[in-house]
Amino acid sequence: MEQTLKRRAGKSPRNWLPFWLILPTIVVLLAIQVYPAIYTIWLSLQKRTPQGWEYVGLDNFRRLFGMGLFDESVGHTIVFLVGYAGLTLILGFFIALLLNRNLRFSGLYITLLFIPWIIADIITGMVFRLLVVPDYGLLSGILQNPDIFPPNGLSILTAVRPPSWFGNFPFPPAPAMIYLILASSWRALPFITLLLLAAMQTVPHEIIESSRIDGANGRQIVRHIMIPLMLPTLVVALFSLTLSGMNGVGMVFSLTSGGPGTSTEVLSYLLYSIGWRQLNFGRAAALALLIAIINWLLIAGTLRVTRLQQRSE
Amino acid sequence: MQRLSLPSWRTRESVLVNAAMILILIFAMLPIFTTILISFKGEKDIVRKPPNFFPCDTPDGRFDITQCRWTVEGYERVLAPKPADNSLLGFTLTGNMVRTYIPNSLTYASITSLAVVFLAGLSGYAFSRYRFRGHNFLMTGILAITGVPLLTNLLALYQMGTVLRKADLPFYNDRLFIITVYMGFFLPLSVWIAKGFFDAIPRELEEAALIDGCTPVGTLLRITMPLALPGLMAVFLLTFVNVWNEFIAGYLLISKNSLKPAMFGLYEFLGQNIINLQVIAAACILIALPMVILFLFARRSFFRAMVEGAVKG
Repeated sequence: MEQTLKRRAGKSPRNWLPFWLILPTIVVLLAIQVYPAIYTIWLSLQKRTPQGWEYVGLDNFRRLFGMGLFDESVGHTIVFLVGYAGLTLILGFFIALLLNRNLRFSGLYITLLFIPWIIADIITGMVFRLLVVPDYGLLSGILQNPDIFPPNGLSILTAVRPPSWFGNFPFPPAPAMIYLILASSWRALPFITLLLLAAMQTVPHEIIESSRIDGANGRQIVRHIMIPLMLPTLVVALFSLTLSGMNGVGMVFSLTSGGPGTSTEVLSYLLYSIGWRQLNFGRAAALALLIAIINWLLIAGTLRVTRLQQRSE
Repeated sequence: MQRLSLPSWRTRESVLVNAAMILILIFAMLPIFTTILISFKGEKDIVRKPPNFFPCDTPDGRFDITQCRWTVEGYERVLAPKPADNSLLGFTLTGNMVRTYIPNSLTYASITSLAVVFLAGLSGYAFSRYRFRGHNFLMTGILAITGVPLLTNLLALYQMGTVLRKADLPFYNDRLFIITVYMGFFLPLSVWIAKGFFDAIPRELEEAALIDGCTPVGTLLRITMPLALPGLMAVFLLTFVNVWNEFIAGYLLISKNSLKPAMFGLYEFLGQNIINLQVIAAACILIALPMVILFLFARRSFFRAMVEGAVKG
């Protein structure tokens, strides 16, 4: 059949059919994805003046890198990504290990576990915010109790960042940042768990059984058999988490709005701040370009890993 | 003895694993339960210091299940029912959320996903069945676009929207613009997912139809499309939920009150109800519930789309 279709596509007058089938998709993608991307590159070299746009070369980038808030946001983003990806991967791996035992209610567990995934990020932010609203949130009674969290109790949405350990790098993070990581992980966990579970189920039973007979304990099996065999999927999961973490901005909006102060202002939120609050579109475009480039590198990395995986199969 | 002790060890292990799973599920569900709890509290119980979990305490501080003060005040404030004679139930809902924002989201989500299914179906079929010049280039290009975040394109799309609005084109309105933007954003992944589904349909069936004298378009519509229907349904549902849950594009690209989607309306609620947590909780539940129900009924479709999408990146 492939031969027939190839011949058809190659020689008969019908070879225009695939072109017409693809055309609408290509038109929409050119208008909504490709053109805006080129426009953003152009925008990043411009500055708005009362007369219109003026070419300023790389000035936007220079000014962006000169902003104190930019350095700080890079720090926040790194802290967020490490916490978010690390926590989600570890928890996802352990839950996948549990689900991999063919429990009787696995289907039910997976269904229930997946509910957070279907809830919008902005709603997730609000749901977690409701718990810690100063004074009235359900958890605030416990968190703000000075006997439990000395000396003054803990108010997640208003407590500022403790003094930094490494110069300007925002570590240890503010309580709000830790809470943002928890909320983000809560929502990302189902998907990552399913991804890892699917990979775990492809690990051949014979290998695990034979190593068990050879005297390997559970931890050794995970460490020396499962993790190496699942490595490509683990890397894909890591990249996917990094991507969603870099670009997700809804939760920052509804949970902390970048605060208290600037302690949860990550790069994606900084883009919104520069663009729509300061109305500095040129500089925001420079930042958008930077974020897009990081995304592309991550996708190229993912592609490489999946290609390697396919080749080895 | 050895034979007897083995199953009991297995059973004990499975009890432990099940217990761990249930514990994890309780933690995963906790934010949802607390939101439901808050949404049924009255204003007097919301603004108490320190907050209490259940609005069930008597004046002397005892817990009494008969004294619970559950109300639907939060929902009333969101829905704002007003008595009306000509309505079926004797009242109409006048809240902006139900009158404007949710119907808007419904419109955007259903039109976008119908269009995405149609376009992704056509191009997924072409990519799956034909080899043509630029095939791999276009597939890789579409994959590369998948990873470019909506966020970085929003600056350009915002400018485009402003220019289009000023140009006063015939038939143009902001609805059309936002739907096209959503299409452009969710098409790339859908094309890949659709191609995967078409790849799984045996070509022999089409070959038989072609030999019997069916045209290629006829084969596509009569043979392939019906077989691909479950897969296309999965694409439809995934896009529907994605558009429903999308916040930042709607927030930045829409300014008219009558065109705002539900997530935008919800975000405004957050600013308007700083103390009235029950109103926010009720609004969150009203907007998230349809998606959760949809997921519970069609979870197989969702998992199918997710697995297909995850493998591709």
